[in-house]
Parts: sequence; C-alpha cells; structure tokens
Amino acid sequence: MNAVFNAVHMETTHEPVSPLVAQGLAHCYEGSNALNGVDLTIAPGSVLGLIGRNGAGKSTLIRAMLGLLQPISGTAFVFGEPALKLSDDTKSRIAYVPQQPDALAWLTAQQMLDFVGRFYPRWDSAFAKSTLERWKIQPNRLLAKLSPGERQRVDLIRALASQPELLVLDEPAAALDPVARRELLRELALRAGEAGTTVLFSTHIVSDLERVASEVAFLHEGKILLRCGVDDTKERYARLWLPAKISAAAPSQSLSRRRNEDGSLSLIVARDANGQWPEASTLPGARIDALGLEDLFVEIAE
Amino acid sequence: MDASLLTIQPNAPEPIYRQIVDQLRRLIASGQLLAGEVLPSVRDVAGFHAINPMTVSRAYGMAEAEGLLERLRGKGMAVAATRKAVQSESQRMALLEPQLQALARHANELELPADAVLRRLAKLLGD
Repeated sequence: MNAVFNAVHMETTHEPVSPLVAQGLAHCYEGSNALNGVDLTIAPGSVLGLIGRNGAGKSTLIRAMLGLLQPISGTAFVFGEPALKLSDDTKSRIAYVPQQPDALAWLTAQQMLDFVGRFYPRWDSAFAKSTLERWKIQPNRLLAKLSPGERQRVDLIRALASQPELLVLDEPAAALDPVARRELLRELALRAGEAGTTVLFSTHIVSDLERVASEVAFLHEGKILLRCGVDDTKERYARLWLPAKISAAAPSQSLSRRRNEDGSLSLIVARDANGQWPEASTLPGARIDALGLEDLFVEIAE
Repeated sequence: MDASLLTIQPNAPEPIYRQIVDQLRRLIASGQLLAGEVLPSVRDVAGFHAINPMTVSRAYGMAEAEGLLERLRGKGMAVAATRKAVQSESQRMALLEPQLQALARHANELELPADAVLRRLAKLLGD
C-alpha cells in the first residue's frame, strides 16, 4: 500500500530527485563510533563542503553515502536509488575520487584514461589530455610508480573528464600545488554554476570551501554539528566575549562556551529571528566579533 | 572593468558577495568606475577568482537592487547611467560608517577620551 502511495506521489510532484541523501547512517570500526546517525540531503547543483577534524568520519560518511561500505544502520540514496544497489546507469552519472586511489595500477596514466573513457557517454578526452600536461603527469608512467599526490591528480582528471552529474571528492586539495588547486576550484565552481553539477567535497582547507561551496556541513564525532549556507553561517554566528565581572549575564543558548583564564567568557552565539545578537552583547565591556568559518569551526569543535 | 580589480578574501568574516558589493560601491563613489561602464560577466569574475558563480550573481543582483548597476540588454551589467561620477557628501560619508563604528568601539574599549581621538583624527585628515 505504501509503495503505491509513494509511486503516485512521485509522479505528481516535480521536485528534482536529490543526488545524495543519507538517512540515519551509523557505522563503527573496532568498537569506536565513526558515524553516529547522520542525516544529510544534497540539493541538485549545490556545492557542499564537508569539514571536520581528522577521524571525524568524513571519509566513512562519503563511502557510506556512495554505497562503498555497508553501514551498521541507516540508508543512503544516490539519485533516488539505494546506494548499495546502484544501477549501471546511475553509476555512470557519478564520479568519486578517494583520498588514496589504488585502482588499475598496472596501467599508465594515459592507458587508464583511455580505458575508463570508453565507459562514460560524455567523456571529454581533450580536457583529459591538456590537464595531464598542465598538472605535470607523465602520461606513459605506470600508475603504480606515481607518487600518491600524482596518483590522486590523475584520478581527479578522470573524474572531471567524465563530466558527471554528481562529483564527490575526498580531500582533493592535499594532492595539488596552489596553482593546480586554484584550477580545480575554478572547475568545480563553474561546473556547478553552469552545468548544474552537484559537488560534495571534504577538505581541511577552509578557505577553499569558502570560495566555492554554497553550503558547509561540520562533521564532529560522527554527527553533523552544523549545516548551513556559507554566507548565512558568516552572517548568523559570531563570538560574544564577556569580561569576568558581567559573565553571569551570558545567554543560556550558545553553540559553544569557553571560560578563559582571566574569568572572561567566550561564546558562539546566533542572531535571533529579528537579526539581533543576544541581549548581553549590548552590556558595557561586551564585544561581538564576526568570525571566518575556520575560527567558528575551531571554537565549536574544541 | 577587469575582474582583477576586485579583491576577494575567502577567509574573511565578511561573506564574499558582500565584499563584492562593498567594493563596487567604493569604486563607483570614487569615480573609478564611471556611469555606463560594463562590468565583467559573472563567469569571468567567478573564473578569475575561483568562486561560486551564484555568489557573483547574488552580489550583482544586490547592487542592481540598490541602483548601483543596471542590466543592459545583450551586454550584461553596467554602472547605472543615473549614477553621478561623484556622489553627495552624505552618500560618501555613509561608505565610511562601518570603519567609523569600529573606530569608536575600539576607542571605547581602550577607554580613550573622545577629544583625544578627535584631535588625532583631525591631524591625520590634515586639518
């Protein structure tokens, strides 16, 4: 009965199918919780940046969302299909670059790109060729002989040349020098803006995320602590500093609260529905400081 | 105008779209951008600075709503024709408001008397 209702429902609404959906994903490795019930939906054409400390579960989340590992509980969907049972058609619409690619190591970079290119209906071989050159990869060396960084660069080229509808990158910046990194960001930004490509990428480099991401998700201890538009986040949150003598007036609602050595208090606070900071910020001696995403992240992830 | 005329600081607390609008306001108020001058396309700005095109569209849209820019058919965005090269004193004064407020806040935090701050400021302004 439920299935029939859902089918009718899907026909009558015109909402596009989300490229990626996670529902209550949980996973653990050897007793330690890697994911603690993650819900995440990514809208078509958006660029979502995933940040979190080492070990926060970023790679695990990405792999579980793509059906590359079976979570202990919860479900993931890719273009509406259960991630663990993707059709070939759906697979050809996705490109994923892991942090340490290791597939097809017995081929040279050029052979690998020629080989996988045949499986993608929209393969851009001119892009693959010119980018190999610009990113200084010797096309005739075996992938097994390349450094981990070079290996990831080849895989990024593979992913971009396939012109996917959904592009998922795990820490892509680590393998690139600043010039190539800027070039990758430009590709991501323009493809999302013009071709409507949906992008999910994890990164340590918060300023990369601030350039191209439309949204940011903070993953902390296996949970999404905060998920917000990048501009919204900067405008909605700030650090409120209260000197010791008025710290008792601190608002009860805050994302984080830290008592400093001199007795003063630092809080991450949000604007209310009318755009106002909490009452305590108007007291004499109180200070409100706007924060970049990196500072905000450090404050709430401590 | 060239896309390189804009400076983008992705890690600043100020969102990028606001940085763009603020710079357009200043460039127009100071006469560095003249009425009718065509702006670089959204794609050019996004490509040059490796930023999301939606951010640039948002900034242009906001500047258009403010009357700074207007959409020219077939040419993209241009500085609004009604913009005088040099704006009235009160309009230019409004551009300084955020810095003045920050200055006042810092002066209060340091518990400096107003007349001392004003004397120093007058000297800097060459009075």
